[in-house]
Amino acid sequence: MDIEESDEVRIIDEGTPPARFARGWHCLGLAEEFRDGKPHSIEAFGTKLVVFSDSNGEIKILDAFCRHMGGDLSQGTVKGDSIACPFHDWRWGGNGKCTGIPYARRVPPLARTRAWEIMEQDELLFVWNDPEGNPPPPEVAIPAMRADDAEWTDWQWKSIVIDTNCREIIDNVVDMAHFFYVHYSFPTYFKNIFEGHVAIQEYEGVGREDITEWDDPDVPQLVSTTSTAAYHGPSFMIDDLTYHYEHFKAESILINCHYPVGPDQFVLMYGIKVKKTPEVPAEIADQMVQAMIGYIGIGFEQDIEIWKNKTRIDNPLLTNEDGPVYQLRRWYEQFYVDVADVKPEMVDRFEFELDTTRPVEAWKQEVADNIARKADAEASA
Amino acid sequence: MEPVDCERCGNRVLVEKNSWEHTTVQWSTDHPEVICEEYQQDPSLTQRGARIGRCSALRESIRKAVLDGRIPVPE
Repeated sequence: MDIEESDEVRIIDEGTPPARFARGWHCLGLAEEFRDGKPHSIEAFGTKLVVFSDSNGEIKILDAFCRHMGGDLSQGTVKGDSIACPFHDWRWGGNGKCTGIPYARRVPPLARTRAWEIMEQDELLFVWNDPEGNPPPPEVAIPAMRADDAEWTDWQWKSIVIDTNCREIIDNVVDMAHFFYVHYSFPTYFKNIFEGHVAIQEYEGVGREDITEWDDPDVPQLVSTTSTAAYHGPSFMIDDLTYHYEHFKAESILINCHYPVGPDQFVLMYGIKVKKTPEVPAEIADQMVQAMIGYIGIGFEQDIEIWKNKTRIDNPLLTNEDGPVYQLRRWYEQFYVDVADVKPEMVDRFEFELDTTRPVEAWKQEVADNIARKADAEASA
Repeated sequence: MEPVDCERCGNRVLVEKNSWEHTTVQWSTDHPEVICEEYQQDPSLTQRGARIGRCSALRESIRKAVLDGRIPVPE
């Protein structure tokens, strides 16, 4: 290994999380959960939102704080097609207009609050955030996931609050090495592509024999994993994840998405669906999706343990075997500036294929050492 | 980074190699009219609107540039 001699100490620049929130579609979870006739409170984008469904079952989102005296509409009641404030019963329609004040002779002029644009797709609810207040352009639409050519299980869906800035989870797009050290997986191929509002991670990996032992011949042995994961905008990642077993493969769609609560907090959500095939019939797929949501949860817990204790770092010190962190952050920046200030280098196509030769060598050795150490410990026990 | 012109469509990209197996490719949209047509024509190169594919012509052009020594590869 080459080591350059220098007396200078590297200083960490922590930077500060941006004061504004990313422009883009943000998923709020399973749409059905908002259709129970009750108002739902969502803290997001530095404010509070109320989510409710009208008499047609159409989901609406408004600012939660009533423009009258600041009451919290999410603690109110759905009355007809409006949400009624618990403070003075002012009524607000899904389009943001005040629809009535029962005790008043007339509604004041300009009685309009902010209505948020929503979208429902693949049983999920999305909200559009844009600090400039523009409507969502069609080219940044979240692509539909369900294809009619196959049956999939229902979503297994989980949500967790994380006390750090959401850039930490974005950084994982380029972070090959953490898959080995934090998630106990073994990447063998790793490539990133950024283009427009999309950031892709291509991943291939094998199992870790020092972590998982297959001694039950009835349990199929996992041979390898392939994954193509793409962020469509700042917060919604669709991962086409395939587990290759000895005699069959299991295809799944993994969603990794979030919305910011404030500069130092976000809600992480993840969900998974498994494809039903002749090799993976419905009952197996249903068992599989249950097990997988558990593994994925463990994976995020491993990330959270790191995030909880680490510092924000604007000037990471990188080696050639790291992914393109700076270029990823350059891509991510496009969502934090006005549309007019998006620079070509933020959106121009960029490809980075990592040389995994050295990491694979080092990790093979480490796995072999771990197995040998275990064997020694068992022999002397 | 060194410029490489795609032998088929003329699209110019910048390429850097840290090793034989590593490749960085920076595209530029200065001339959108010549951006690789292979993406438009082959739907298998895209996945839900995300252009994951490798353009075979550009890949070959980069390979030649590396073999010709136009792109330095550190040992």
